[in-house]
Amino acid sequence: MGKLLHRVLPGVAVVLLVAGAYLGLFWAPPDREMGDVQRIMYVHVPAVWMALLALTLNFCCSVTYLFKPSWKTDAMAEASAEVGLLFGTVGVLLGSIWGRPTWGVYWTWDPRITTAAIMLVAYVGYLALRRFVEDPEKRAVWSAVVGIIAAVDVPIVWFSVRWWRSLHQVQSSPKTVDPLMVLPLRVSAFAFLALMIVFLARRYLIALAERNAEVALPEALPSDDPATRGGSGASKVVA
Amino acid sequence: MTSLSTLLVLAQAAANPVGTGRIQGGWGYVWASYGITWAALALYALSLWMRRPRTPFGSKE
Repeated sequence: MGKLLHRVLPGVAVVLLVAGAYLGLFWAPPDREMGDVQRIMYVHVPAVWMALLALTLNFCCSVTYLFKPSWKTDAMAEASAEVGLLFGTVGVLLGSIWGRPTWGVYWTWDPRITTAAIMLVAYVGYLALRRFVEDPEKRAVWSAVVGIIAAVDVPIVWFSVRWWRSLHQVQSSPKTVDPLMVLPLRVSAFAFLALMIVFLARRYLIALAERNAEVALPEALPSDDPATRGGSGASKVVA
Repeated sequence: MTSLSTLLVLAQAAANPVGTGRIQGGWGYVWASYGITWAALALYALSLWMRRPRTPFGSKE
């Protein structure tokens, strides 16, 4: 499983990414109205999908941590927030570039774009909180609470184009687009999915190693205070 | 009545161009988008490699 995740999947992701780029840039037909500019969709849409997926995972980890504390869950929460923020930032940036030739502006306070921007700010705050709190146990609990609060915006981002009359178009489906546009989008989406899993796995190992080092540190050093001997509160959390 | 029919003609004339045009060019935006995506993904992969744990998790060291 480890070999598949750390050796095979990155290769698969790169091959799919190259194939998706070729299909999206040269094979797919131009859009009837947007022309070649529409080719941005093959990277913009998968990036936003992966962001929403990773941040939903962060929500699941946050809820799970509060009910059943575990360093593994906390490490996955940290990994998913960072990876989700990466894909979310790329998605919003590409949406902004796409907006210039189609809407005439790089940025407008459209409900979809505004809620996506709020989502990015919320998860920047989440990661900042994780950096500022030194106690691993407090950090895990507080960030789990913030993760749950921030996740409120995730479904709002998805449904914003349906709930409000918006400049941003409603989600397309294979039934509403040219069949020749479905394949590049699918290949690109699987490439991004494979890449997201690789990033999550790698970032999870980094976070878990940091947690283990933090928790092991108080026990490794002799303490003058008898009350603190035998491990800190943090070490009570079962990994 | 005349002004009403004039307005009707004007409204129809204004409605016709909607959806009939096509954006020409724009490859610069496309290349910029793909470039930013690949650069962001490559830089993040590099950052993960730079931050990798010195001893693999689960090793006996």
